[in-house]
Amino acid sequence: MAEALTIAVGIAQTSAIVALAPLLTGVMRKVKARTQKRVGASVLQPYYDLAKLMKKDEVVSDQSSWVFRSAPWVVMVAMITAALFVPAFLPFSPFGTVGDILVVLGLFGLARFFTMLVGLDVASTFGGLGASREMMISSLTEPALFLTIFVVSLSLGGTNLSSLVGAAAQYAGFAEAPSMLFALIAFFIVLLAETGRLPFDNPATHLELTMVHEAMVLEYSGKSLAMVQWSQSIKQLLLFALLVNLFIPAGIPASLDSGWSVAAGAAGFVAKVVLLAMLVAYVETRAAKWRLFRVPDLLAMAIASSMIGVIFFYL
Amino acid sequence: MSETALIIDGGYLILFQAAALSFVLGALLPLAFRKDKNASVASFAPAALGSVLTIALAASLAISGATLEVPLPFAAAAPEIEFQFYIDGMSAFFMLIIGLVTLAVSIYSIGYSSEYYGKRSIKALGLLFNLFVLSMILVTASDNVFSFLVFWEAMSLASFFLVIYEHENESNIKSGMTYIVMTYLGTAFILGAFLALYFQTGSLSFDSFRSSEPPMPAYIRDIVFVLALVGFGTKAGLVPLHLWLPQAHPSAPSNVSALMSAVMIKMAIYGLVRVTLDFTSPSSPDSAWWGMLMVVAGSASALIGVLYAAIEKDIKRALAFSSIENIGIVILGLGLSVIFLSFDLKALAAVALLASTYHSLNHAAFKSLLFMGAGSVLFGTHTKNMEKLGGLAKKMPWTAFFFLIGAISISALPPLNGFVSEWLTMQALLSSYQVPNVILQISISFASIAFALTAGIALATFVKMFGISFLSRPRSEAAVHAKEVPKTMIAGMGVAAAMCIAFGIMPFLAAGMIASSFGLDPQFSDAMSPFSSLSVLYSAGGIESISSMSMPAVAIMMGSVAAAVVGFAVVAGSRKTARRIYSTWDCGFGELNERMEYTAASLSQPIRTVFRILYKPRMAVTKENYSDSNPYIKKSMRVESETKDVFEDRLYSPVVGATIAFFDKIRMIQTGKVNAYLLYVMVTLALLLLLARLIS
Repeated sequence: MAEALTIAVGIAQTSAIVALAPLLTGVMRKVKARTQKRVGASVLQPYYDLAKLMKKDEVVSDQSSWVFRSAPWVVMVAMITAALFVPAFLPFSPFGTVGDILVVLGLFGLARFFTMLVGLDVASTFGGLGASREMMISSLTEPALFLTIFVVSLSLGGTNLSSLVGAAAQYAGFAEAPSMLFALIAFFIVLLAETGRLPFDNPATHLELTMVHEAMVLEYSGKSLAMVQWSQSIKQLLLFALLVNLFIPAGIPASLDSGWSVAAGAAGFVAKVVLLAMLVAYVETRAAKWRLFRVPDLLAMAIASSMIGVIFFYL
Repeated sequence: MSETALIIDGGYLILFQAAALSFVLGALLPLAFRKDKNASVASFAPAALGSVLTIALAASLAISGATLEVPLPFAAAAPEIEFQFYIDGMSAFFMLIIGLVTLAVSIYSIGYSSEYYGKRSIKALGLLFNLFVLSMILVTASDNVFSFLVFWEAMSLASFFLVIYEHENESNIKSGMTYIVMTYLGTAFILGAFLALYFQTGSLSFDSFRSSEPPMPAYIRDIVFVLALVGFGTKAGLVPLHLWLPQAHPSAPSNVSALMSAVMIKMAIYGLVRVTLDFTSPSSPDSAWWGMLMVVAGSASALIGVLYAAIEKDIKRALAFSSIENIGIVILGLGLSVIFLSFDLKALAAVALLASTYHSLNHAAFKSLLFMGAGSVLFGTHTKNMEKLGGLAKKMPWTAFFFLIGAISISALPPLNGFVSEWLTMQALLSSYQVPNVILQISISFASIAFALTAGIALATFVKMFGISFLSRPRSEAAVHAKEVPKTMIAGMGVAAAMCIAFGIMPFLAAGMIASSFGLDPQFSDAMSPFSSLSVLYSAGGIESISSMSMPAVAIMMGSVAAAVVGFAVVAGSRKTARRIYSTWDCGFGELNERMEYTAASLSQPIRTVFRILYKPRMAVTKENYSDSNPYIKKSMRVESETKDVFEDRLYSPVVGATIAFFDKIRMIQTGKVNAYLLYVMVTLALLLLLARLIS
């Protein structure tokens, strides 16, 4: 019975991630607008967009194959399945023994694989351009991310997300585990790259000089576009949740026994994620899009930072 | 490794003999047929039967953990030869790989050989194909140096003749020569390793190596290990001994490429596992450097292999480079296992060995699938240049579908099989903190960067390979007129694709079998039941936790999420939405054509720029003007870019050049005059006499 309850709570957690992900995108757009002295659209605008897109007719390229048509579904399924494994405002995911952080990254990879194929499928130059850039950025993000996980897993033990978050909640901060600080720096850079933020990619433009992710999914419209955008927000929220729970665990409830501590934990989680989102949005207004071939330097910095973390751990 | 009861069961023996007989039949039967089509069926149908029997034998031996000893009838007549077969779990596992791949490839070959009807001898193809498979099976079954080397050479020779099967193409002859030279180089080292063992034990049988009394001194074991690593590493295509591999695999007919890449290089892994874990098992920290050497060589191979695969335009060459990558991952896992064994971390050694062997099995499944897919593309379009393909997903839907499965598997994405072995390898890397040596710990984390970079670039490589070949517009007439391949070829690919899916979402099938055949820790024997997960125990700094993953459950969760997403889309998009087919957005210019889409070269250009140190890209722009006086109006412009294999350029070419120059100099003494030769004889004799005098 308790088992069923935990699973139900876990599914509720995942549903909350899926449902709130567009809100986070809205908040970030708002922050960006305010820092640029604009009023900006309502934070609920992403929901209005999704609702509208869901009802629209679609235009599909005559060059595209079944890969183009199935990709939004594959991407969406991969993201929601990943959401099942990531603890957000609870200290655990009930499916912790089914999938660990490596499974989450594998599912991200699956989504990326199909997105890149979509870029090539429509036979436009934009799509190829996006896929080509994504190929380079993602292949360099991978070692940075894995090395970050290496540090986290060394410091906190294992790759099981529930026990990682549990262990993170118990340690006393970066003074106790300085290697985690370097991992945090690396993870932050990786997060910018993975969510397609400046200086890697600009989520707001449709300009061939700056597009990466948008270029690949340029041909989507209607329902498919809604799913692609939603999946992107879910991925963003998942990465934020990982950063917040692994590196800034303060306030995570220890157990589900008391409703108050769970509610406080949820409130704390939302506050931390929103603060992080504001930080990222603020960074975006301060940074310019980097030239594509400067991007490896930044990722090399992430790799170096987490490598220092590894050496710190062992020495 | 573990001693289990020796079983000379009539059933197993008959299976073994029947399997061998089928392959012999497959080799000889086609000679009796005049028509190419009949000859093809007569050689590949027995091969398929033989592989089913091999699978039955190997799987039952591997699962039961039994061993089979096959004495030969004339053994009593010549006892000193000790010529007998012995199949233990380790052999059975690799025999299973041979059987599984051969089954898929034999079915595929019935259709694929129609490509050669009337042009080439199908009889020769069938004969060599069957001999090739049979010799590999007998390599794994060999229990002494003599028979091992005989079948090893038979395997090399059969594959050499298959590489030059299409010998009207000059480049095939060249790759065949590189292959045979490198192979003999490798065999020389293997022979050296066995000779060192022979001098130690005084016997050629593997049994005596295994249970050498007194135990071999450390320096002998070190020598044996290094010789075996170089020898088997050459056959496996370990960097920098990989030179032959990207030449030979694409030259062979595609069904043979599938066998060579998926199975033959695994025979080298078998040899390496046999020597390192069975004959000279590492047991003290002194042998940890073996593991480190393998980790370094493995991660270097993985990274360099995938980097060259990423920029390759020839689809089969790209697959060959990717084999170098995967063999690197296998050897990385094996090296970790040796390191863990050296420090007596048995459970972790089991994880690493499982990762390594599981990846061998997976690579056999997806690489044979991908090579068969590439063969189908070649069959349908007569080109393996990706720049001339495109749009095949619509013309060859089955080939495209199966190739996509292979591409997802090899990119290590859930829920297919590549992910499982990659997960295990990552767990083995992450467990390296338990090795009580800081230098090793930090070196392994460096290796893990290479491994993760490899994974990232592999994904990009296969996006490119599938995307450029199968998606968007056809780039040439050949691709426009492509047709789906015959049913037997589709069926062959289907068998391999089914293996990719089965080993992916049901890892307990393979993990349990590997555990029993290698006598691994019983924690994996539990993995035999569905839904149980693969797990690794962590204990660091007082924290204990279990990292686990359960692919069947992941697959089920993905399925239920998919159902939920579809349900939501149906409910939320309640109003019927229409789908309009229209041309791709062309910025209002109109008339997008195939020359405007991305090509394989342009797609990998950023990667080529980032890793230019390895590729040494060269760009040549040639312009032709309308008139010499005016350079601004151009008639045509041509950009050519080429990349080089740094190893061929910097390592092999100088050595080959120096060798040829050296022998050119030596030729000066070859004057053609008899009196000069007599002088040489006299001088040699005098020197020898002097030497004899000095020694005595």
